Amino acid sequence: MNSTLNLLIGLAMGLNLLALGSSRLPSVIRAMAVQGVVLGMLPVVITREFHWPVALVALVTMGVKGFGIPALLRRAMRAANIEREIEPFIGFVPSLLLGAIGTIAAVAVAQRLPLLPEHAGTLLVPGALATIFTGFVLLVGRVKAISQVCGYLIMENGIYLFGMLLLHSTPLLVESGILLDLTVGVFVIGIIVDRIQRAFDSLDTRKLTVLRE
Amino acid sequence: MGVPVSPVITAGTLLFIAGAGLLLAMVSGRAAPRLWLMGIAVGTGAALAAAVGVLAGWADWDWRSGFEIGGEQLHFRLDAISALFLALLGVVGGLGAVYAQEYWAEERHPRSARAGRLGWAVLVAAIGLVLVSANGLHFLIAWEAFTVASYFLITLDRQRRDVRAAGWLYLGASHVATLCLFAFFAILAVRTGSWELGSMQEQEELAPLFWLALAAFGLKAGMFPLHIWLPSAHANAPSHVSAMLSGVSIKLGIYGLVRFSGWLPVPAAAGWVIALLGVISAVLGVAFALGQHDLKRLLAYHSVENIGIILIGIGFALLAVAQGQAAWGRIALAGGLLHVWNHGLFKSLLFLGAGSVVHAAGTREMSRLGGLWTRMPWTAGLFALGAAAISGLPPLNGFVSEWLVYLGLFDAVESRGTAALAAAFAAVMLAATGALALACFIKVCGVVFLGTPRSAGAVRALEAGQRMRVPMIVLALGCVAIGLAPVLVWPALARAAAAWNPAWGSLGMPPALGALGRIHAAVAILAAVAAAWLWARTRRAGLRRGLTWDCGYAGPTARMQYTAGSFAGTLTEWFAWILRPQRHELRAVATFPERAGFEEHTPEVVLEHVIQPAGGVVLQVANTARRIHHGRVQAYLLYLVAGVVGLGLLVLLGARP
Repeated sequence: MNSTLNLLIGLAMGLNLLALGSSRLPSVIRAMAVQGVVLGMLPVVITREFHWPVALVALVTMGVKGFGIPALLRRAMRAANIEREIEPFIGFVPSLLLGAIGTIAAVAVAQRLPLLPEHAGTLLVPGALATIFTGFVLLVGRVKAISQVCGYLIMENGIYLFGMLLLHSTPLLVESGILLDLTVGVFVIGIIVDRIQRAFDSLDTRKLTVLRE
Repeated sequence: MGVPVSPVITAGTLLFIAGAGLLLAMVSGRAAPRLWLMGIAVGTGAALAAAVGVLAGWADWDWRSGFEIGGEQLHFRLDAISALFLALLGVVGGLGAVYAQEYWAEERHPRSARAGRLGWAVLVAAIGLVLVSANGLHFLIAWEAFTVASYFLITLDRQRRDVRAAGWLYLGASHVATLCLFAFFAILAVRTGSWELGSMQEQEELAPLFWLALAAFGLKAGMFPLHIWLPSAHANAPSHVSAMLSGVSIKLGIYGLVRFSGWLPVPAAAGWVIALLGVISAVLGVAFALGQHDLKRLLAYHSVENIGIILIGIGFALLAVAQGQAAWGRIALAGGLLHVWNHGLFKSLLFLGAGSVVHAAGTREMSRLGGLWTRMPWTAGLFALGAAAISGLPPLNGFVSEWLVYLGLFDAVESRGTAALAAAFAAVMLAATGALALACFIKVCGVVFLGTPRSAGAVRALEAGQRMRVPMIVLALGCVAIGLAPVLVWPALARAAAAWNPAWGSLGMPPALGALGRIHAAVAILAAVAAAWLWARTRRAGLRRGLTWDCGYAGPTARMQYTAGSFAGTLTEWFAWILRPQRHELRAVATFPERAGFEEHTPEVVLEHVIQPAGGVVLQVANTARRIHHGRVQAYLLYLVAGVVGLGLLVLLGARP
């Protein structure tokens, strides 16, 4: 079981680096979507046995993260008519390096953390830390609002991974709550993106500095 | 304590009537000026009657209501100390309202006359509440209402930039004071376990709180280094408001000091510090006044001076308590308290007079006034009377209170205690202050009322109308009455002093006070006789009117007269080390000089050389800190990451050992 789990999480961590190193928005969105699908499978893998509610959660997660949200983002992208992230704050190679360092640091830190024995052997904690860190790097280093939405979603994926630690104790309702939260967050950001586009005629968040007091 | 004269008319019922009158004034202030004036008259009249009653020996009024505000029971108390200040409020509050009817009338100030009426009613009510509150929380609420109401009154003419600036300065300074008061009352409430105020002399550990009270009330009173808000606020407020500010508002600072130095134990150094601050305020206040060219700003600095005189009295009273010397302490205190009344009377009179001048000539600049004596004889005469009173000339009231302070100081010198040397020094300084004040008011009266007009406004000036004149006349009569019959006010002072320190017991009147009253009466009669004789003589001999300040020139112009600056030049030179006058001189050179000029300006030294640089440093630090707040979302997120990583590291490193 653990090897399957670690394989999936390892895949997610690889997708982190892909998202960091890519300048084209469609590939960032795709990396995020695939990560969503991979993470969506985790509940089934962790519980080992087949439960209807868990399967349902997994399905919904995969649907929303892997198809729903990416579709929304692609639409926003087409509407705003941008394809690439040009002149980011942190370049693509430095981002990759940062991501790699972050991943190593996450593994190192996780080994120092006082974890439960059942979690110690898995990549769950380092994976979650690395994914959250990746999300932060995207949020800090990118200029376009859509990239930032991606960063936010990847960060949410990291939080979701942390949630997996608690799968046995978290009731279904809380799981759904997390998903709902995510969806609402994306909707809000989608609306904001639309507003930014209309007000500033661009999705360059640097122009938002005029809004400071 | 005596008994009320009748079971129905007590201080309490009178104060309720006063409250109702002021409420009526608040409601009707916007739309019905006459009703407003009636409400104010009833309110201040009833308050005055209650205060006089308590000072004359009625029982103290102590009233608790079941009604709660902020979880605290309403608790009012009117004792002799409160009554002393309430009486002053009654006089100035009522007369100022009458004056405002003409001075700040609807026709001249259509935008602000209504707001002015409402603000006046609120201000009078708030000050009254401060004076009777016996609960720390309600004291704070009333204090804040009083501060804010004053702010709105100061900025009535808010179209002008300097008025707004003065208002802001006042509001800022007042809120520093309020902040200190918050700390003061909060700590007091924590230490005593209750917001109730009253005598807590036995709790020695409360003594350090006195410094907080001194900062707060000193700021309000305008004692020297904390006076920064006072000159601009007094100068820019409408004159009836200036009279209220100077006559009553700043006295609330004195009220607070007297009240809480009586109720709470004070540190050993308190008397020394207050006396020293008093001396500094008195001397430097008059020094700054000498350097002013703005009539109302000059009067404002004289408030600093007079607060200094009051503080000398209170400071030496505290010293006397510390050294167990009741004899001279209570005379000094009585002098200080009487000076509260006197200053309230003559400073209100002077501000109302200055208001008439401004109203008539349209400027406060003394270098644009002149020759008003013939144009506004009533204002000029009453102003001169106020000037004589504030300079401490007999037979007026200013002399009586300063003389009482002197008497206390001299007795202190004679007692040969540790305070003797300080008392001698203070007496000398007080004398110097009196002389300088006299010089300053000769300058004012000479420049403003004598000579020939220096501007078109001064030429067109007309005497103030009835409703502006009557309040001035009443105030002037008050000054004369206290001067001629100081014996009448002594019981009130004795009761207030006894309320301040019950251990002193009842005060016998210093026998010299009666003699002083008789001498004053004799001087007044002699002066009247001499005046009548002179008048009759000039009538008989016939009068020839000529130009004043002719100086032997055939065709003098108004510009050839002494200016305010040149008159006080020698005196301001003595104080140049603190006044730091800024001079712009264009010397006449060559045989046929083209043009020459001389300009002198006295800055607000404490404000411009201490407060503003300090404020500048704070602003600079704040601006540097503001640089990290630039609006870039990414950087904000970076701060977030750095914070989270830092906290994580802290936990990791902290968890290891």
